[in-house]
Amino acid sequence: MSDLTLTEDLSTRAVVAGPTTPAASASPVRRGRRTGGGNWIVHLLLGFGAVVMVFPFVWQALTAFKTFQDSVQVPPVVIPDPWVFTNFVEVFDSMPFAQMFANSVLLTIGRTVGQVILCTMAGYAFARIPFRGRNVVFVVFLSVLMVPSQLYLLPQYEIIQSLGWLNTLQALIVPGIFSAFGTFLMRQFFMSMPVELEEAARIDGANPWQTFWRVMVPLAKPGIIALTVFTVLWSWNDLLWPLVVTTDPEKMPLSVGLSQLVGLHGTDYPVLMAGALLATLPMLITFMILQKQFIQGIAFSGTKG
Amino acid sequence: MLRTTTGRTVAALAASAAALLALSACSSGSGTSSSDDVTISYGIWDQNQQPAMEEIAEAFTAEHPNVTVEIQLTPYKEYFTKLQTSVSGGAAPDVFWMNGPNFQLYASNGVIAPLDDQGVEASDYPQGLIDLYTYDGSLYGVPKDFDTVALWYNTELFDAAGVEYPSAGWTWDDLKAAAAKLSDPAAGVYGITATQYGQENYYNSIAQAGGEVISADGTESGYGSSEALEGITLWTDLIAAGSSPTAQQMTDTAAEDFFISGKAAMFQNGSWAAIAYAENPDLAEKVNVAPLPAGADGNQSVIHGIGNVANAKSTNLDIAKEFAAFASGEQAAAIQSESGTVIPAFNGSQQAWVDALPQYDLQVYIDALESAVPYPVSKNTAAWTALESEILSQVWAGTVSPEDGLTQLAEEMQAALDAESE
Repeated sequence: MSDLTLTEDLSTRAVVAGPTTPAASASPVRRGRRTGGGNWIVHLLLGFGAVVMVFPFVWQALTAFKTFQDSVQVPPVVIPDPWVFTNFVEVFDSMPFAQMFANSVLLTIGRTVGQVILCTMAGYAFARIPFRGRNVVFVVFLSVLMVPSQLYLLPQYEIIQSLGWLNTLQALIVPGIFSAFGTFLMRQFFMSMPVELEEAARIDGANPWQTFWRVMVPLAKPGIIALTVFTVLWSWNDLLWPLVVTTDPEKMPLSVGLSQLVGLHGTDYPVLMAGALLATLPMLITFMILQKQFIQGIAFSGTKG
Repeated sequence: MLRTTTGRTVAALAASAAALLALSACSSGSGTSSSDDVTISYGIWDQNQQPAMEEIAEAFTAEHPNVTVEIQLTPYKEYFTKLQTSVSGGAAPDVFWMNGPNFQLYASNGVIAPLDDQGVEASDYPQGLIDLYTYDGSLYGVPKDFDTVALWYNTELFDAAGVEYPSAGWTWDDLKAAAAKLSDPAAGVYGITATQYGQENYYNSIAQAGGEVISADGTESGYGSSEALEGITLWTDLIAAGSSPTAQQMTDTAAEDFFISGKAAMFQNGSWAAIAYAENPDLAEKVNVAPLPAGADGNQSVIHGIGNVANAKSTNLDIAKEFAAFASGEQAAAIQSESGTVIPAFNGSQQAWVDALPQYDLQVYIDALESAVPYPVSKNTAAWTALESEILSQVWAGTVSPEDGLTQLAEEMQAALDAESE
């Protein structure tokens, strides 16, 4: 069944939903009743949103194949003529791309694993373990969220420098594994879970660690997935901190390497876009592969809520 | 019960943190070589100049076999953010590039070291650059290169419109007349791009009208004068006459792109443009360069250049100072000159730059030295350049008249300058 026929099918049955499975459309009776007109508007809005979101990416991809002259043409040249593939070669020539890519991957994995472990434990502690001054500590902790991150740039730099960590992988990772936001997110998640689950675990003889590890963490999967997504994206894109703590191209992540393609008086846009495209692809592919888990995780949280 | 668990969690955390530390201590143990060997770092911001800088570093090592110079490239947009952070943290490069707007801030805070003892002869460099890098009577930066501004033009568009090429002796009136003739709204072609750029456009025209952006001692704003007004209205009039794209158009599309695509016949640009245009196969044959047109007081260009400075806190300060002078010296100038990227500041070494691209009249950039005016700076330049761009953008867009805009700019800039001296 093509998308188009599916859409018509749905609109005639007055069902509100985006793309859905044939199985779902087979039992439309249980869906809410909406007008067919509303359906068109929804599709129009969604379609418009999709175009707006995708356009910059398409433009980036097209520019990556243009000559420099085409990339700065007034009025703009849309389709590259001729198609140029040397821009990608130039990206590899102008920076140690493979090493930077590896750095980005390690940075992202390190930060994400660190945050998931620390934020989950801290979030659980703030949500469920009563200790003196818990709320005060939590509010103080949260106040970190109110401070613009640029403000810690200098003190953090001084710490990292006095540890002798400049130009090292741990300088990229360690400051990124603590997150007030992540802790807050996980705390809210644990707060929303029924206390009865823990009580049941305790009656079955589980100690607090077992309760946390065996019962609560598996249930917190949707929250952990959300946290992972945020952290992965933020780590992959992070520029300012890695820029400041690395001076050796071999230690830089891709975000810093790409920024060096921006010239003072002129930038070779096709090469920059080719590099950016190469840097974006791994993220895209990862999310396409993990999309199912991601959506399942969210659906899971919906049934529990 | 609960207490102990918390205790255990904390202990586990502490243990893992300690493990992490131990791990990092292992991996960060970088090799420290014998005490004679010295490595100094050299901070730069232009990737195009990196090969020339590496060559200069090698030349220095040839003279000092125990010294290695390591180039640290940071893109210009982030260069000063990173420099400020690393200076405060005490890990800034030993020698680094400095520019005019930031120089006094670093010199006045003792971040960079005076270079008076390095035997630098002021007469070897253009006076405007020596002045730019002198603070409180001491030279803190040795001029590395310079850029002046000239008028690039597209010969094809001039030929098509039957207009004579710009030449020495051109006045503002000639410029306006030619720009009007060259404009062809139907084809989307404009005579010139009257961009809201300081260095390329209005800093020059204000000087050409006989005004100044800032007084020589950096304490008084010059925007309140009628000359400054003339220098600004030159550009806004060109937009109003339809000889230039509007401010909106030049926000949507980089002004230089109009020139590169053959949609603007003239474009004022710095000497850095020469190599970029020469390397652009679609443009190289169609363009040439002429002196700036003259206003009431002449055809002055602003001059700016990078200076090499030494980090006052460098552990190898003597070598750092020596390298700062070396990287701006005669041998380094020859290396830069041959690369064709920038005009070296060292007098007498500029000819190789001119000869590197014989197809263009690059001598106009060197001739501009004679009447060049210093790039306007003060102790905290960024405070009032922010005002400039904010207020002048309204003037360029036409929402504020040039008279009102400049009156406001002069007042606010003066307040910023007064705050500096307190």
